[in-house]
Amino acid sequence: MNKYFYALLLLFLGSCSSNNKNSNVINIYSQRHYNVDELQYKNFEKLTGIKVNVTKANADELIQRMKNEGNSSPADLFITVDVGKLWQGGEMGLFQEFNDQSVFNNIDPELLDPNNLWVPLTYRSRVIVYSNERVNKDELSTYEDLSDEKWKGKLLVRSSSNAYNQALLSSLVENLGSEKTTKWSEAVVANFARSPKGNDRDQVKAIAAGQGDIAIVNSYYIGLLLSSEKEEEINAGKAVSVFFPNQGDGERGAHINVSGIALTKNSPNKENAIKLIKYLTSGEAQKTYVTNSYEYSVNPTVQPDEIVQGWGEFKKDPVDLNSLGKNRSEAIRIFDKTGWK
Amino acid sequence: MVFSTVLLFLIVILPIITLIVGTVNIDTSNFRYLWNNLLLDYSLDTMYLVLITSFFSLLFGVLPAWYISTNNFTGKNIYDILLYLPLAIPAYIMAFTYSDILSYTGPLQSFARNYFPDLVSFLNQDYLQIEVLGVIMALALYPYIYTACRLSFSLIGANYIDLSRSLGMSRTKTFYKIIIPLSRVSIFSGLFLVIMEVLNEYGAVKYFGVNTFTSGIFRSWYSMQDVETASLLAVFLFFVIVLFFSVERFFNSRYNFNYKPNTKKFRHENPSTSKKIFIHIISFIPVFLGFIVPLLFIIGNVIYEFERIDFYKVFNLTSNTFIVSLIASIIIVLIAVYFQFLKRIIKNKILTVFNEAISLTYALPGAVIGLSLIIMFTSFPFKSEVLLGSFIVLIYAYVMRYMAVGISPLKSSFEKHPSSYDDTAVNLGMSPIKLFKSIHLPINKSAIAIAFLITFVDIIKELPITLILRPFNFDTLAVQTYEYAIEEMIPKSSIYSLTIVMMGVILLIFLKKIVNKEIDVSGS
Repeated sequence: MNKYFYALLLLFLGSCSSNNKNSNVINIYSQRHYNVDELQYKNFEKLTGIKVNVTKANADELIQRMKNEGNSSPADLFITVDVGKLWQGGEMGLFQEFNDQSVFNNIDPELLDPNNLWVPLTYRSRVIVYSNERVNKDELSTYEDLSDEKWKGKLLVRSSSNAYNQALLSSLVENLGSEKTTKWSEAVVANFARSPKGNDRDQVKAIAAGQGDIAIVNSYYIGLLLSSEKEEEINAGKAVSVFFPNQGDGERGAHINVSGIALTKNSPNKENAIKLIKYLTSGEAQKTYVTNSYEYSVNPTVQPDEIVQGWGEFKKDPVDLNSLGKNRSEAIRIFDKTGWK
Repeated sequence: MVFSTVLLFLIVILPIITLIVGTVNIDTSNFRYLWNNLLLDYSLDTMYLVLITSFFSLLFGVLPAWYISTNNFTGKNIYDILLYLPLAIPAYIMAFTYSDILSYTGPLQSFARNYFPDLVSFLNQDYLQIEVLGVIMALALYPYIYTACRLSFSLIGANYIDLSRSLGMSRTKTFYKIIIPLSRVSIFSGLFLVIMEVLNEYGAVKYFGVNTFTSGIFRSWYSMQDVETASLLAVFLFFVIVLFFSVERFFNSRYNFNYKPNTKKFRHENPSTSKKIFIHIISFIPVFLGFIVPLLFIIGNVIYEFERIDFYKVFNLTSNTFIVSLIASIIIVLIAVYFQFLKRIIKNKILTVFNEAISLTYALPGAVIGLSLIIMFTSFPFKSEVLLGSFIVLIYAYVMRYMAVGISPLKSSFEKHPSSYDDTAVNLGMSPIKLFKSIHLPINKSAIAIAFLITFVDIIKELPITLILRPFNFDTLAVQTYEYAIEEMIPKSSIYSLTIVMMGVILLIFLKKIVNKEIDVSGS
């Protein structure tokens, strides 16, 4: 009687655990879902035979979901386009440490997480683009200069509800402090050509349409416009030029944000997940990223796409990337207080 | 039976209760911060958007419904079908589509640059304005009003019209003084659905830079990671809507509508040529702007992307969408029919209240419903890691959200039939089951079909709930469309939105046939 009971119990337990350990898969909660990501996962599957399952959604939703799922979350990896969300997940105890020197040897040390809770995959800069017709490059210098009255009615930028702007402001809070950043935001809002709306590419199109002269956008969108299949979009991309702010002597450098990956705390397929992290930071995958999405590689030896190279090299703001998350709430409060919708 | 009703009712509204209970102990400093800084803007923007959308929805819905119900002209039947069809296009698709069409690099301005250079500076406007959004949303949502009015106008007996005309009232006066008041309830229920959709909208309003109340909810939830404030705002919005709804009910409860089944059939007019032209214009504009233009644009994109389409994925997502929508719609209709039937045979005040209240879950934005379910299933006593992330929770959320949509046509249908039916049946000794099977089921058949179809169409378009609660590796057509659209890859999204639209069109054509049959039956 006892023998049968234990046999049944073992059978039952055995079948339970095999449910969790789906032999050859990884489960990713990802905010990124560009074509290049699908391509990367396909290549990885071909190479290793491991199936990649992806749930794509807004980073905040995914974080809430992981928090609520707790120990039984099926997610192995979490990928975002905003390092602030990676910091946040780390703070909430959703990730485990990943410390592999062989991987880190291929990554620019400025971009690494000192706490080893996330790994950067690519980076991009939030730059100023300006109208070729109406603005002289010499008129531009720093982010701080955008608050100058000379830009009144000429500045275009998307809503403050977007993570890219929130990250930029977070870096300003870190570098300049809350008070100065608040004054800056107030003055910038006064310079808006129109109330914030649309996405980054819309701001560029608005410059081409003559509705403004300068805009704050992510660097890769220019690459995407210039390589668009629509002639009109290429024209819009050609109507502007890219300017990296804060490059002068003694200046801190242009703001960057990192797209990264984190290993979840209770990753059910940890070994497979680590293989993916290694793959995505390898030379081959890094080259795939830069040629398809016009971002910069975290591997200093991998050159960006030709179009991107044409914008020249630039100094990166070396501020601790985690501060882009730490200062997030303060940044949003400043946006609200200064009326940056 | 009363017990089962109460149980069902509680199950449907339980997540709201969880939400409300969860807000009781929160720290209100974040709320006060929102109150001081943003809520005024949010409220004003929301009210303005609701106003514009309502105005244009009424314009696009009421006038064509009236003319088609009362006149005979060639093309009438075609218009009648086409006027329903914008409902197949989700509002956010409409918004992204038009913003693309009107944008500087879009087809309208590009065309002008090549062929009508004089028009270029005139057309070069910033179209991302709240007024434009209001019109776009009205184009997507007016069919709710059109359906309600079409039914109502056709059912109003010719007696009223003849009487008012013989008393010397002009046609126009008849329209404003007799027809509209009599149709108040229908128009309002259509308008209610429109307003709820506007309040629920997130993607389109964000893109157009309109900060509605719902934006505030998401700002706290997502940007500030403050689930408690988001819940508080959601509950606040919910109570405002409940209040609004109750006030309207109070005013309308003084009216009792009796549709006599043997009313003289409506005599259709044969309009003069100039009137015909007017009618054509009025009917064509909503169809053209609300359906034809977006459809052509979407089809154009699909053709452009044709070689790159992953048809396996399209098929997979279509079957996903179809199955969950089917299951949820069936459940909704079953519950709705059950409630309506019970309300008739058990004259219990509580049941009446429950019947009304169960529709209120519609007042919560879909994402808030998602939020409340996540909270519910992760806290005692419903904590369940198995359920969360399963289809059960997803379907539960759909049922919660769209219960009102299913109840609405059933309610009108059940209420239309005099209670003498039930009294007679009881006198004849019929059991409730027999009563249902032999009387209520047949006479409400059309309404049941209508309820099912409308719910189904709504669920295949549903976005926020699906985004939040969907199981792993499970996407619907709406989710995939949205993912591409917000990544600024509208052409890629088009095959998915086209599939939604086609599914919706087929369903709506069925719907139209049933509604028309209902009109004919009641009028003869």
